Amino acid sequence: MPTRPMLAYLWIVPLLPLLGSAINGLFGAKWPNKIVNWVALGSTGLSFACALEAVREFFESGQALFRKEFFTWIAAGNFRAGFDLQMDQLTVVMVLVVTGVGWLIHIYATGYMAHEGGYYRFFSYLNLFMFFMLILVLAANYVLLFVGWEGVGLASYLLIGFYFLKKSASDAGKKAFIVNRIGDFGFMLGMFLLFRTFHTLDFTALFQAASNPGWGPEGWGQFGTFTVACLLLFMGACGKSAQLPLYVWLPDAMEGPTPVSALIHAATMVTAGVYVVARSHVLFTHSETALVVVAIVGCATAFFAATIGLVQTDIKKVLAYSTVSQLGYMFLACGVGAFSAGIFHLMTHAFFKALLFLAAGSVIHAMGGEQDMRHMGGLSKKIKYTYATMLIATLAIAGIPPLAGFFSKDAILLSAFQIPGGHPLYVLGLLTAMLTSFYMFRLIFLTFHGKPRYDEHKVHVHESPWSMLGPLVALAALSVIGGWIAAPALWGGPDYFANFLTPVFGSQEGAEVLSEAAAHSLELTLAVVAVVSALFGLGIAYWLYLKRPEKAEGLAKSMAPAYRTLLNKYYVDELYAAVIVKPLLWISTNMLWKAADVSAIDGAVNGIAEGITAVGDRTRHTQSGNTRSYAVWVVVGALVVIAVIFFWPGMGKPVVGLVR
Amino acid sequence: MNSAIPTTADFYRVLPELIWCGFGLLAMLLQPFVRNRYFFTGLAFVGALAGTAGACFAFRSPGAGFYGLIQSDAFSFFFHLLVGTVAVLVVLAAGPYLDRERLPFAEFYALLLFATTGMGVLASAQELLTAFIGLEMSSISSYILAGYRRDSLKASESAMKYFLLGSFATAFFLYGIALVYGATGTTMLDKMVSADASSTLLKLGLSLILIGLGFKVAAAPFQVWTPDVYEGAPTPVTALFSAGPKAAAFALLLRVFATVPAATHFWFWAFWVLAALTMFTGNLGALVQTNIKRLLAYSSIAHAGYILVAFAAVTSMAKGGPAEAAAAYAAVLFYLLGYALVKLGAFTIVSQLGGTGEKNLSLDDYAGLSQRQPVVAAMLSIYLLSLLGLPVTAGFFGKFYIFKAAVNSHLLWLAVLMAVNSVIGSYYYLRVIVVMYMREPSAETASAAPVGFPLTVNVVLAVTAIGTILFGVMPNPVINFILQPTLFGH
Amino acid sequence: MLHGGHLLSVLIFFPAVGAVALMMLRGDDHKYIRTIALIVSAAEFLFSLLMLRAVHVGDAGYRLEEFAHWINQPPINYHLGVDGISLFLVILTTFLTPISVLASWKSIEHRVKEFFVMLLMLEVGVVGVFLSLDLFLFFLFWEVMLIPMALLIGIWGHERRVYAAVKFILYTMAGSIFMLVGIIWLYNATNTFDLPTIQNMLATGLLALPPRTEMLLFLAFFVAFAIKVPLFPLHTWLPDAHVEAPTAGSVMLAGVLLKMGTYGMIRFCLPLFPGASHRATRWVALLAIIGIIYGALVAMVQPNLKKLVAYSSVSHLGFVVLGIFAFHNISMQGAVYQMLAHGVSTGALFLLVGMLYDRRHTFEISEYGGLATPMPKLAAFFLFVALSSLGLPMLNGFVGEYLILLGTYQRHWQWASWAALGVILSACYLLWSYQRVFFGEITKEKNRTLPDVSARERWILVTMAVVTLWMGIGSAFITRRTAADAQAVIDQVEPQRPYEAVAPLRPAQQSTGIAPRIANATTLERPGTR
Repeated sequence: MPTRPMLAYLWIVPLLPLLGSAINGLFGAKWPNKIVNWVALGSTGLSFACALEAVREFFESGQALFRKEFFTWIAAGNFRAGFDLQMDQLTVVMVLVVTGVGWLIHIYATGYMAHEGGYYRFFSYLNLFMFFMLILVLAANYVLLFVGWEGVGLASYLLIGFYFLKKSASDAGKKAFIVNRIGDFGFMLGMFLLFRTFHTLDFTALFQAASNPGWGPEGWGQFGTFTVACLLLFMGACGKSAQLPLYVWLPDAMEGPTPVSALIHAATMVTAGVYVVARSHVLFTHSETALVVVAIVGCATAFFAATIGLVQTDIKKVLAYSTVSQLGYMFLACGVGAFSAGIFHLMTHAFFKALLFLAAGSVIHAMGGEQDMRHMGGLSKKIKYTYATMLIATLAIAGIPPLAGFFSKDAILLSAFQIPGGHPLYVLGLLTAMLTSFYMFRLIFLTFHGKPRYDEHKVHVHESPWSMLGPLVALAALSVIGGWIAAPALWGGPDYFANFLTPVFGSQEGAEVLSEAAAHSLELTLAVVAVVSALFGLGIAYWLYLKRPEKAEGLAKSMAPAYRTLLNKYYVDELYAAVIVKPLLWISTNMLWKAADVSAIDGAVNGIAEGITAVGDRTRHTQSGNTRSYAVWVVVGALVVIAVIFFWPGMGKPVVGLVR
Repeated sequence: MNSAIPTTADFYRVLPELIWCGFGLLAMLLQPFVRNRYFFTGLAFVGALAGTAGACFAFRSPGAGFYGLIQSDAFSFFFHLLVGTVAVLVVLAAGPYLDRERLPFAEFYALLLFATTGMGVLASAQELLTAFIGLEMSSISSYILAGYRRDSLKASESAMKYFLLGSFATAFFLYGIALVYGATGTTMLDKMVSADASSTLLKLGLSLILIGLGFKVAAAPFQVWTPDVYEGAPTPVTALFSAGPKAAAFALLLRVFATVPAATHFWFWAFWVLAALTMFTGNLGALVQTNIKRLLAYSSIAHAGYILVAFAAVTSMAKGGPAEAAAAYAAVLFYLLGYALVKLGAFTIVSQLGGTGEKNLSLDDYAGLSQRQPVVAAMLSIYLLSLLGLPVTAGFFGKFYIFKAAVNSHLLWLAVLMAVNSVIGSYYYLRVIVVMYMREPSAETASAAPVGFPLTVNVVLAVTAIGTILFGVMPNPVINFILQPTLFGH
Repeated sequence: MLHGGHLLSVLIFFPAVGAVALMMLRGDDHKYIRTIALIVSAAEFLFSLLMLRAVHVGDAGYRLEEFAHWINQPPINYHLGVDGISLFLVILTTFLTPISVLASWKSIEHRVKEFFVMLLMLEVGVVGVFLSLDLFLFFLFWEVMLIPMALLIGIWGHERRVYAAVKFILYTMAGSIFMLVGIIWLYNATNTFDLPTIQNMLATGLLALPPRTEMLLFLAFFVAFAIKVPLFPLHTWLPDAHVEAPTAGSVMLAGVLLKMGTYGMIRFCLPLFPGASHRATRWVALLAIIGIIYGALVAMVQPNLKKLVAYSSVSHLGFVVLGIFAFHNISMQGAVYQMLAHGVSTGALFLLVGMLYDRRHTFEISEYGGLATPMPKLAAFFLFVALSSLGLPMLNGFVGEYLILLGTYQRHWQWASWAALGVILSACYLLWSYQRVFFGEITKEKNRTLPDVSARERWILVTMAVVTLWMGIGSAFITRRTAADAQAVIDQVEPQRPYEAVAPLRPAQQSTGIAPRIANATTLERPGTR
């Protein structure tokens, strides 16, 4: 076989960012930003290039799956976790998204962070994240995947808390890590269960074993191995991908610098959950229950988050909630068995959501740090490029053809519609789509249109440097064309993206439900409906925020309770604090520590000691020093001894102690 | 029973006693003529040493002597060596003390040697009246020694107590002998082998003997005199008490067991109870003491308790024949050895640090000793750790062997009680160490000049400390010796 | 096979020689004393590495055995030996000792000579415990090591040091004295103190203890070990001991002494009393799990940083005990590994806490805050260590915890599920305390000018960090050497299932395309068939 250097040394792809991170972290402190840039961009760019080469070689090799074990990391008994990397079509998509988008965002960050302190630290963390993310997507077994999984959590912890002087920032970082840990709890148990059943955690071997006919499907409400394992894995996914009920960390994560929000909390890390579900599709397809749960949770999250997004005033918060909502879409897709659609949306979403964040960052940059949309407005003229790119992204996410978001979202809704009993999901999804376009255009209008609501003498709005605009343009282009690969499907042609992933997911279910023609006409109608709803949402936004801004106020007032509830995100954080955090701390402090540890256990220990001493004191007082009493003692003792000798029960019998 | 006149061998068998006694008399006779106090120290030293050496001669001619009144065997040899060494060391330790307290030398040494003689007799006596004589010899001289500090009220009082209660106990002992004689028609222990165990008279007699000896070894509830007497007596004498007479009394007790099977049968529960009581009284009492001398007194009660555990083991095992009991005997002997060394060393240090008139006896006076006199503190720690039963000390092996004996004879509960007690015990031994090493001394204690340690005392400390460690690392020779089947001659 | 030379004896007594040498020195030349102590302990570490040559991958059994008759009545022998399990514990000990010497370089100012003498004597005791194959000898070292530790706490400790020292020693003695009774009792049944011999007798059926006796013996040993571990609810000596101990003391205490307990369980409780272990396992596991969660929760609310770390040890050691008593080879290896990992990471935590104390003379978290600004390097190290302690993959904490949970799950999924909560909680208390100490604005003016790590401290921390990382990535190096012996221990307690036969450890060569070991599919079992 032809030599394929890049595949043979696949570990170089993740290792490069790690090196960059290490170098910057150890020596960057003393270096000027320029050198730090070189290291950071160089390492990520190079690893992007290597990834491309590896992908090329992979296609050239024509294998369904490339897999290689590099070295044994953990070994015990019949358990082995190795540094085994693999590459298949799914990995290809992920790797390219991660390295490509990641690299663009690195470039952007050089501009955005130029004036921040801890520059080297930032890029060290960012590279570290790239490393772990690549491990995550390249891993060939669950354990190594878990390494990346936890690692990206760490990176996000560090980056969210980057401005560690702000309590809110460090709080958010901590929250992110701990909430993720809760998810990982499930993830770990899922792994354990899988190992218990299949005695391996290597993807290939595991899925091979799982697709063994011995395992029948598990129907609704049947909690067999697959259902439980999948639900546990999904718990982890919920944590990482901010689904209900573990989504709470993501909005707070916006405390991090904007490039971080773009890279980690929009494009890559948060989609890891979707990736895991897709990667484990073999398992999920075994269990109806698991799929349904995934679909429902996804759909619910999508709608739920969208409603919150309606009223947020912080530009990044809006995007955050929209991310949560879009992730919900992806899970919905997976839930209805349309894994390729989910991945498709994952990819397009990576493009336009990254773009949205970067653009938002550019806006914030332009406004000198202002994030509240109520103090913006009319920026469109001042920062044209930003405006243009952001508009494209908005159209994309709103699902306006022919932009990327349209195709991916359409595919999801279609498959949701097609599965039996999927109509409620479809309706909710459609509703969400409308809300999405509403709050996204609300964002656009509040930010770029209308008359400025900021003090133009104080704030000198200025367009960002090209280091920031370049990535915007690139991503804008991707957001436009990113979906075209699936375009032919609309005109009855094959869905190239789905076909591309077929080796991984197998041919799509659902599509066979209807005849080709019917399916095609249905697809078109649904597409039209989706577009209409999106435009409807756009219209409302236009009417409320450009035509009659006062109406928006009125609306907010007229339904104040609902408005406040949304504004406070349904009070979920408060709920968690009141129900979990506070009681736990109280119990630990007063019951476990103060009562159990100090009073009960230690009290008992010291009590025994004091008791013995007290007895000792008593005995001391028998020493009256009075000879007569001593004599009495002796006599009494004598009587005792004689009594024992003469009258002790069991005298003379063979003497036994406790046991023989 | 040969009715011939005593042979030279007979005299060899009591050679140590003869020497000790002789030197004691010599000291008394020379007292009016010799003014040099140190001469007497030398004399007593030579005497004690010679007597101890004499024990070897006695051992060279084993067997019953004087028509079986005494028995010279490995057992008696061991105890002669023990009490002899104790005597030697006490002589060395006492010199500086008497000097400091301005007390007459000659009488002290004379009494000391007489007491030693008595113990020697106890160790080899095989006839109850002989034993009684030995007992009385050692006791009476002990009474006087206890009150040797005439001008100290405390001492005189304790001596008086000791005398009254002591004679009280001796009465028990004597009466016991009488009853036993009534029951068996002999006072020869070896003649009682065939004695009928069921006879009430014998039972009563042996119980009374047990009580009498129980008093000597300070077994609860006969321990009441111990703290007061130990505290009141001159410290070197206390050292003697805690090591010598106790060992001798135990020796007799063992001898009775080894030779009178009747005794073992029904003494078991008595020993069980005595052991438990003694351990607890000793340890609990010591727990709250602030006077180091008193603390050590209580601790010696506790240790008597541990030894009694071994006795209980003996009684339960001896039914399986002496072979099985041997381990328990060995335990007792080894324990007494290690214990005597440690107690001697400890009390010697106490007597040195006590200062003129034994003022500094409270724990506070030991605060920060490790800074003032590190070596002394280290030595005392060794002794305390040995009492506590920590490796690698003789005390540890002693305790280990007793545990082993107890477990061997399935006295699990007694073993557990003993374990509990050694934990309690460890607390107050540690307290002394803690005070020496971890507490800061009070102003005047800190300012006090280090107490000088004369050569003789250092010799005592060196011997005891080295012995403690040596027997803790290399118990083999001793163990082999005391485990020999012919421990009791026959 | 007694051709081991005398390496083990050297390992045990070399520090003692060093200690004696120190005693000879004049007390006032501190620098000289410290240097000698450092050289001795470092040399000891190098010696201990020599053992690696003796322990071969893949075959169990004691190596480098030394045997000499010591006491003939009862037969007590000077019998030493090392196997995969004790090997790394000894190395851990010899590794942490020089670290502790360095850590006390500046912080110990009075009675310096005595301090280092005690430290070396402590090493003697601990190494002896790990290498003894004679029950009596084991007990002897077990007791001997008490005194130096107690003195380290009691003399060089903080405010309530005396209380802590006495509590420590009494707690331990209360357990060990019963172990002594147990040892003697066992001797009574076997007429030997020699561990391998007894194991033989058990294996060949020469020795079969009646259940009741076995259980009592098991308890006699187990309680002593449980106190040392410490297992809930016998743990209350630990927080006091740690808080009062000097840094070096805490490092040795947490790093090594606690492991003596778990080591004892592996070496004695399981092999000698398999039946009793079986009957006890449910309760032991219960206590272990309580310890895991309880320790973590209590740690979370500690206002005192050092106490927090102390309670975290309770939690971590709970994992170890659980892993041991799950009777699964994976969890057993995890337990062994966790012992080492905890030794390093918690040792490092105590070092860092000590460094903070050297600067501010307080452990109160509220006294700190915003330290990342004046001392970024220390903050970085602290985070690194904290992450390893909360079990982040690629750092040493993860491997052990993961294996323990994985293995336990194979037998008792409920236990593993409960224990896994500890993984969440550890993140909570570590990150929370880290935030309160290092993040945010500086609250106390004093802290504004605190110096960052000195050169000496940096070297200590770098060493610890490197080891932490290496153990996190190269764990196979260790597990491959502990595997056989862990397996052997398990085999004596509970036969493993066929498919649990040890899998090949080396990665399959150049396996591209579909991966190997599909074979697993053949041993496929439906869930619930067990």
